[in-house]
Amino acid sequence: MDYAEFPKYEPVKSHRDGCPGNIHQTGARCSVTVQLANIPKLEPKRDYPLSPMVAIRALNAYYGEQQVLKEVSLDIEENQVLGIMGPSGCGKTTLIRILNRMNDDLPGFRRTGTVAIQGQDIYSREVDPVMLKTRVGMVFQAPNPFPISIYDNVAFGPRIHKLFRKKKELNLIVRDSLEKAGLWEEVKERLDKNALRLSGGQQQRLCIARALAVHPQILLMDEPASALDPGSTSKVEELIVDLRRNYTVVVVTHNIQQAARVANSVAFLYKGEVVEIGKAPDIFENPINPLTEKYMRGTLI
Amino acid sequence: MNLSTADDETESIAIEDRERIPSWQDPRVISSYKRRRVEDFVIKILTTTSLVLVLYPLADILYRFAYRGLQSISLPALTQVARDGGLASNIAGTFLVAGLSTVIAVPIGVLGGIYLAEFSGRSRYAELVRFVSDVMAGVPSIVLGYVGFLLFVLYFGWGLSALAGGVTLAFLMLPYILRTTELSIRKVPLSIREAAAALGSTKAQLVNRLTFKLALPGILTGILLSISIAMGETAPLLWTAGTSQSYPCGLIGCPGGVGYLTRIFYDFLLNPNPTAEVQNLAYLSAFLLMSFAIGINIVARFGLRRISKI
Repeated sequence: MDYAEFPKYEPVKSHRDGCPGNIHQTGARCSVTVQLANIPKLEPKRDYPLSPMVAIRALNAYYGEQQVLKEVSLDIEENQVLGIMGPSGCGKTTLIRILNRMNDDLPGFRRTGTVAIQGQDIYSREVDPVMLKTRVGMVFQAPNPFPISIYDNVAFGPRIHKLFRKKKELNLIVRDSLEKAGLWEEVKERLDKNALRLSGGQQQRLCIARALAVHPQILLMDEPASALDPGSTSKVEELIVDLRRNYTVVVVTHNIQQAARVANSVAFLYKGEVVEIGKAPDIFENPINPLTEKYMRGTLI
Repeated sequence: MNLSTADDETESIAIEDRERIPSWQDPRVISSYKRRRVEDFVIKILTTTSLVLVLYPLADILYRFAYRGLQSISLPALTQVARDGGLASNIAGTFLVAGLSTVIAVPIGVLGGIYLAEFSGRSRYAELVRFVSDVMAGVPSIVLGYVGFLLFVLYFGWGLSALAGGVTLAFLMLPYILRTTELSIRKVPLSIREAAAALGSTKAQLVNRLTFKLALPGILTGILLSISIAMGETAPLLWTAGTSQSYPCGLIGCPGGVGYLTRIFYDFLLNPNPTAEVQNLAYLSAFLLMSFAIGINIVARFGLRRISKI
């Protein structure tokens, strides 16, 4: 594979917005716009209003006999970061795994209620669970890069969905995703090296880049920084704040300070129920529910 | 206030407990430590002894056959056909039969293993396949040879031939390849499967782009070892491949069937008065088979480790 194209890629400065060539300014930074050959599009049949981005209504989830989510109803607005907090085993992970149908094949898993993304029920017949994942990306708790090269990791999604026509377009997608994940400068010289050689924090940002490469609208993150050292954690946090310009992000976290730093709104789950939801500052400064307050003081068992 | 009473309770329980728990200076702890040291030593001796007991006969066999085999090695023995007192036709026969069985068993075994590992889920059919395959792996090879004789030689009318021998050997290799393929694919961790699924990968794409490649060293190891087992088999071939004095003429229809290396040694064992020449050829054939097996094992062990990525 020819990785030599990367250092050679020096686009011309455009006069319009101070960004080079086919790179356009979005917000405070430049980003590459790539003409994608074959973006998988779900032509949505609208079951519900277009807004909010994600609407969860009366969601119940069971593993066998055990009920893990009870009548959960939530709205997630576009380009917001929703933090989901709560003690271990309260159903946080189950909730976000329902949002991209990762739990479908789990033995004994059942679900009732609706989850609508942009007004479309994602559990309806029209929605293919494999295609759904191109709209809803996921980053896991422990970094799980594929044991292949850094380049191939990021290119995995575009390749399986045939999101490019030429090798050059794929190179652009890889570069763009790595830049968005803030990893490009660190890895641009060694894209052909095995991803497992990166540090834990770099691996996690690579996983984020890999998820961004298929252009999802929503990014689900399951305790993305819990396995990382403080330095890498703050990098991932900065990244999440950065991402909310263009993505709707759902972050599961145990860390109250982290939620305060990255989230616009916070949902607090306890034993499978949403006990409090609101704007982040409100919840952290004036929790209404005594359970939320106890959790934040560290005395909730 | 609540907190302080809770603390007091923990404290008082802890003090009572502490007196019951022996510290490291306690004579009971020290004597138990001495006993554990003795245990450790005894187990070390036992395991080392059994290792020697296994290794010594093996080394002895290897040495004897290598010695006798190298003594009787000669250009005519390696280049002439059996009729002229050489092994060339039997070497060709061994490679023909083993190659044929590999060509048959590998695609079926690998694809079946992929099915069992990735697509079967918890279906009853998959459980049945696993059960039958395990039973097949335990069927004595002479029984397999008998079945091959009845089915391929008589019923299908292939006669004693490379085809009948190869297909019978393929049945011997198949369960082995099936299970090693399944197991090596299953070794690919769940986190990688989930990551691929979360990117919208179908199962076929997962196998194609990740799990098969990652499992390839393990799969190849299984294939190579099953080939080396197949090359060393005699029982399934006695009544399916037959024997011949000259080079194999084709897959079926050669007079007498096809000769192979283990047959030389088998005939030597049955021969009441073997001449020195027969004896030398037998040792040479055994030596060649052992060299193939060792060569394949070395490739499987060291060659494939280099391309392993997990």
